Amino acid sequence: MPGHEPRKVALVANCLLNQNAKVCEGAHYRGVVTPVVEALRNRGYLLQQLPCPELAFAGVRRWWAVYEQYDTPAYRDHCRRLAQAVAPLIEGYLRRGDEVILIGLDGSPSTGVRFTSSRPDWGGRPNRPEDDWEVVPGRGIWIEELEAELARRGLPPLPATGWALDMGRLDEAGSRRELEEFLDSRPSADDSRGDEPAAS
Amino acid sequence: MSSDARGWRIALIPDSVLNPPQQALGTLPEALRVLEANGYGVLHLPPAGVHRLLLAVIADQVAEYAHHGYAVVAIGLRGSPDNGLHWRRFAPLLRRRGVVPPPRHLIDPNRDIGVESRRLSTFLAGYDLPQEEQRRWRV
Repeated sequence: MPGHEPRKVALVANCLLNQNAKVCEGAHYRGVVTPVVEALRNRGYLLQQLPCPELAFAGVRRWWAVYEQYDTPAYRDHCRRLAQAVAPLIEGYLRRGDEVILIGLDGSPSTGVRFTSSRPDWGGRPNRPEDDWEVVPGRGIWIEELEAELARRGLPPLPATGWALDMGRLDEAGSRRELEEFLDSRPSADDSRGDEPAAS
Repeated sequence: MSSDARGWRIALIPDSVLNPPQQALGTLPEALRVLEANGYGVLHLPPAGVHRLLLAVIADQVAEYAHHGYAVVAIGLRGSPDNGLHWRRFAPLLRRRGVVPPPRHLIDPNRDIGVESRRLSTFLAGYDLPQEEQRRWRV
């Protein structure tokens, strides 16, 4: 769009700004996941929070679940509704010429980008032993539906990565290093290096 | 839930507070840092525009929190249309979901930034649900 400087916009998983969205025992921070916000803001990214699909579907007191349990027509319909709610904003950024990236939550059945959680035999009484799901390569359901909605609108795939919060054990330093490597490998990273952050 | 770190408090914030425009830097408190310091999570309201479906989606989430023992506040920006909170449309969406619209605090960009930061912090630190409600849900 003429007369507008392209901006850098990061779509961030809801719980990266609000850990209250996490399933019980899943919150590693009180509210904001500070290392993610710092890494993005220090590089001049604006933040656009995505809705939390699980919270609005199964509630704040939901059980833990894996990809296969959420892979239902009803949950996918719900995720499509959320995608339709946020897609006009994303489309606006892209049509304006902004750089848009996606930061999900690796290991999540919904918001995983590089990894999701799997256990095809989970179900019934929720008394599974702790940590008996598997982390497998692949998108979560919400990210699949969000990407499908953007594709339906003729928009290009977004560069994406995930903060490894749901991988069984949080390695904050390793997660931060991976996120920073992703951000610094962006083609525009060289152009922006040394710029003042938009907000810090 | 002893291994869970959630703070049980959430602030609705305008886009202009989460992503202050370049010209506003130095005039607005570092709201996100103040929120972090007080243990609040954030729900981001969209920038100016209609956003009918997105506001409904956010209202659904606020209702879920409000009905289950979470303290919710709204931080607006004085001088912005509807204080940046879409309040004329958002508050009715909350009421339709059985939620009393949360208490609002307005940041005044025309006042001293240090004073405004302290005012925001005092408001955030001082707000929570009554002890009885906290005991009911936060186990």
